[in-house]
Amino acid sequence: MRLLVIGLDCAAPALLFGDERLVNIRRLMDAGVYGRLESVIPPITIPAWRCMVTSRDPGSLGVYGFRNRGDHSYSKLEIANSRSFKALTMWDHLALEGRKSVIIGVPPSFPPPRVNGISVGCFMTPSVDDVYTNPPEVADEIRDLVGEYLVDVKGFRTNDKDWLREQIFEMSRKQFTVVRHYVEHAEWDYFHFVNIALDRVHHGFWKYMDPSHPDHEPDSPWRDVISDFYLHLDEEIGKLLELVDSETAVLVVSDHGAQALHGGFCVNEWLVKEGLLVLEEYPDTVTPFGKLKVDWTRTTVWSEGGYYARVFLNVEGREPTGAIPAASYESFRDEIARKLAAITGPAGEPLGTLVFKPQEIYREVRNVAPDLIAHFGALDWRSIGGVGYQGVLHVRENDTGPDDCNHAQFGAFILAAPNVPALGEMQGARLLDIAPTLCEVGGYEIPDSFQGRSLFDGSLRDASTGGDLSAEGEEIIRQRLSGLGYIS
Amino acid sequence: MNDVEKVIVVGLDGLEPTIVDRLLARGELPNLARLRAQGGYSRVATTTPAQTPVAWSTFATGVNPGGHGIFDFLRRDPATYLPDLALNRYEQKSAFLPPKVVNLRRGTPVWRVLGDAGIASAIIRCPCTYPPDDSRGRMLSGMGVPDLRGGLGTSTFYSNAADLVARESEQVVPLVLENGGTRATAHVIGPRNPKSRADLVAPITLELDPSSRSASLQSEGQPRTIRLREGEWSEWLRLKFKSGLLQSVSGIVRFLLVSAGPDAALYASPVNFDPLAPHFPISHPWEYATELQREFGDFYTTGMVEDHTGLSNERFDEAAYLAQCDGVMREREQMLMHELSRQREGLVFCLFDTPDRLQHMFWRFGEEGHPANREQESAEYAGVIEEHYRQCDALVGRVLAAVDDRTLCIVMSDHGFNSFQRGVHLNAWLHAQGLLALKPGIRPGEDAGELLRQVDWSRTQAYAMGLGSIYLNIRGRESEGIVAPDEAPSVARRVADALTGLVDPDRGAVAIRRVRTRDELYSGPFAEESPDLVVHFAAGYRVSWTTALGGVPDGLVEDNVKKWGGDHIIDPELVPGVLFMNRPFAGGAGDVAAVPGPRLQDLAPTILASLGVPAAPAMEGRSLLD
Repeated sequence: MRLLVIGLDCAAPALLFGDERLVNIRRLMDAGVYGRLESVIPPITIPAWRCMVTSRDPGSLGVYGFRNRGDHSYSKLEIANSRSFKALTMWDHLALEGRKSVIIGVPPSFPPPRVNGISVGCFMTPSVDDVYTNPPEVADEIRDLVGEYLVDVKGFRTNDKDWLREQIFEMSRKQFTVVRHYVEHAEWDYFHFVNIALDRVHHGFWKYMDPSHPDHEPDSPWRDVISDFYLHLDEEIGKLLELVDSETAVLVVSDHGAQALHGGFCVNEWLVKEGLLVLEEYPDTVTPFGKLKVDWTRTTVWSEGGYYARVFLNVEGREPTGAIPAASYESFRDEIARKLAAITGPAGEPLGTLVFKPQEIYREVRNVAPDLIAHFGALDWRSIGGVGYQGVLHVRENDTGPDDCNHAQFGAFILAAPNVPALGEMQGARLLDIAPTLCEVGGYEIPDSFQGRSLFDGSLRDASTGGDLSAEGEEIIRQRLSGLGYIS
Repeated sequence: MNDVEKVIVVGLDGLEPTIVDRLLARGELPNLARLRAQGGYSRVATTTPAQTPVAWSTFATGVNPGGHGIFDFLRRDPATYLPDLALNRYEQKSAFLPPKVVNLRRGTPVWRVLGDAGIASAIIRCPCTYPPDDSRGRMLSGMGVPDLRGGLGTSTFYSNAADLVARESEQVVPLVLENGGTRATAHVIGPRNPKSRADLVAPITLELDPSSRSASLQSEGQPRTIRLREGEWSEWLRLKFKSGLLQSVSGIVRFLLVSAGPDAALYASPVNFDPLAPHFPISHPWEYATELQREFGDFYTTGMVEDHTGLSNERFDEAAYLAQCDGVMREREQMLMHELSRQREGLVFCLFDTPDRLQHMFWRFGEEGHPANREQESAEYAGVIEEHYRQCDALVGRVLAAVDDRTLCIVMSDHGFNSFQRGVHLNAWLHAQGLLALKPGIRPGEDAGELLRQVDWSRTQAYAMGLGSIYLNIRGRESEGIVAPDEAPSVARRVADALTGLVDPDRGAVAIRRVRTRDELYSGPFAEESPDLVVHFAAGYRVSWTTALGGVPDGLVEDNVKKWGGDHIIDPELVPGVLFMNRPFAGGAGDVAAVPGPRLQDLAPTILASLGVPAAPAMEGRSLLD
């Protein structure tokens, strides 16, 4: 059985499952199983998609976000790319059996991964003038199909919303054109693409849609942009499904969900205030962490910004000028975790921050992991890394440009296949379960390296076992002719 | 003819020329007489076979059935030998996509040619327009639209009788009376769950009041409560059937309270597609059906509207059937008038199916000795057909009020009507001739069953399926074919010759006038899909009930004892339709000697020519207006 994975970056369960106008989505839901999908920690595009296709958690992959410490120095931050991951993916395992794959925009896909088939770069592709496909000549085919292919909306954190809307739809339409072309014309057993446009539309337009967003603008002209985009996705998915035969399993899946962003918590500002992060001089204006003059001999804790906080401890013998005795590392870390969890909101209300220790949430902790990971207000709040807010800890503006939403821990999945019974909603599915589930549906052995388990737990029967077809056929005929009159 | 701006076609399905002649002579069809005087009146040759979907498809496309692909109500799958409805089929590209309806009528219909020339059409209920064509103007689909069960119409009968058994095209639901016989709970049967095949149902509660011969019916539908009176059709009830956690199917149904008690009985019509939310598209544009609903309220959407099975099954009587027919005529007329009032140019077509459905069920009353007639039946129904023709004439009168001197008005039928007293078991004949063999130990009759189930294909050369169609069992075409393709023409000839002139052994009359082969009958891109032979029955005869679905009964000819006592699927020469126009036309003055008479193929070119649009290249007919 062929496997078609329709990746919708950031698809939110409530939006995907809650709109009955999404007829093709509904059809898939009704034909198979669907539900919320618990993402990894952190629920971020990098590494979540790669966690999904390798069925390995971020610690086991040794990649904790877009930016990772390359070593224990204070400055070496590396941007993850497709070469940062060594674990075998679904398409690698299938290639070992001689199976072919088409991989389009599955992050990280730059440089374009080598596959037994075709790969096309993801949003991390700097420019389509770079070699962003494998084999490279695929780029020429794509140009012939759609003109300039868009891997992302550059500068999507903008206030020019009309432009942004147009760009997002154009990017998505072009991608679906390319996807349809290769679904139809390429040889494949595994086809996986990720639509990043949905993530961009959430970040750009959430506040117009969501009345609970603090900056909600009722009756905005952009109020329906998100729901229009879901309708667009549904229509495109309908067209895509026209091209696959009934011996194809279809998975619609997101890497994480989306939720209203209530504001930013200035984590380093807070650390300065707490005396944990010591600066040689406090900046006059808001300054990114990398440009601060940090007194590393007296600093015990610092953090990176983003949708969540990666918190690092300055440990003796590990960091160059560690300030925390190695022996008291654990107790110190516990103390910091308690402080982070106790952070309050602007009015002193509990924020509900979640703090994680990598050793407790991952099976393995490879490379240089953060010492703590914090989801401020369970990701209602993002993490602001800059300092210079003059003691203000809660801000509404984002330091990287306008952004309306944060990622949510729960994404969504819908899986329909001839051998998958129509079980309806399924609880408890996790992102790492996706790849082993696909293996079971597709009839492949589940590799030992996979950490998740199949949602069906080996219960899927052979699709070919059916009822008495001829009896059913005759009954259908009688039903079709019922009431004709001329016959009896 | 460039002065014509608008063409109105009123289709009166199955209007029989000899009855029209008779009533015209008596002066009882004044409006048709007016049309005849203004323009002309003639017979119009129907298609082979003389069946509604075949004939109106030829009307619409101007080609013989070989050019549009509709040859019979039924077609058969040569891979399985199983029959299916020939008008449309459902395709599902993948298990996760909704099935799509595909119209099996091909060719280029007149409204498409007009649309390409920038002229709009309003096409109401033309057969074989499901799904509706995406052409300029408006269209409401006709014959071919199923009910929610997917058939042409499956009704439901409710009763507390102990021996409640489903009759034809029917479902039964027992009524369990409570509360001293004044209350019963039951359900309306909706569509099947596409996965589990289980029936989806909507519960109903009946509060019966035997003393006032009435009841009220409560449900979760709209309206919550409807009043029922014995012998009267209820208003429509709109119900939603949950087909899954996420999907529901909406339908409309109406009831006829047969008895409020003490033995309670209730009839429910087939559940029609909800015009506001049809399960599959039934109009173009999509919202046209919605618009009609908002204008006139709920209406019948199934392709075959009249509940003839309720009458055949004797669930209700002739009076109730007539009341329904009247309602259908009114409903259809409203739609036609609505379009006439707003469409200034182009084509307006509306088919009234009721004359056909009514003649099927009342023909026998005009024939003494019809095998279906019972003793002690009222004579009051003998005049029903003529009265209906007068009503049709009055309808034409109301249409003519909308006709001006720039309007071409056409009133026509697709075929005529005749008696159906005797049914011929074609498969039994084939069996007797050694052309069709049954499996070892199986004899014709009950054993042989239906759907050709007991046929031994390795020894079978020909089989009958559908309404007068015979197929050869051809190697390479049929899955177990044995007739070599190059021998097929001679086998066909042999069958045709042997069957022609078949005599009814009980009556001594010729039952089959002719049998014609594909090559004689059809040409065009789809001719290959046609039956190999088409049987032309004599008046009073038809293919038997069981033959149509591949039965191999015992005996050769049987009495037709069903209330469906009239039919038209006989030699097409015997059942031409009628054609009236308000402008003189070739053949319309009765000068048939001068020209070949009008044929259904001529209508599309006529409509096009009157509006100044060239006929499509494939069209075989000619304009009658030159």
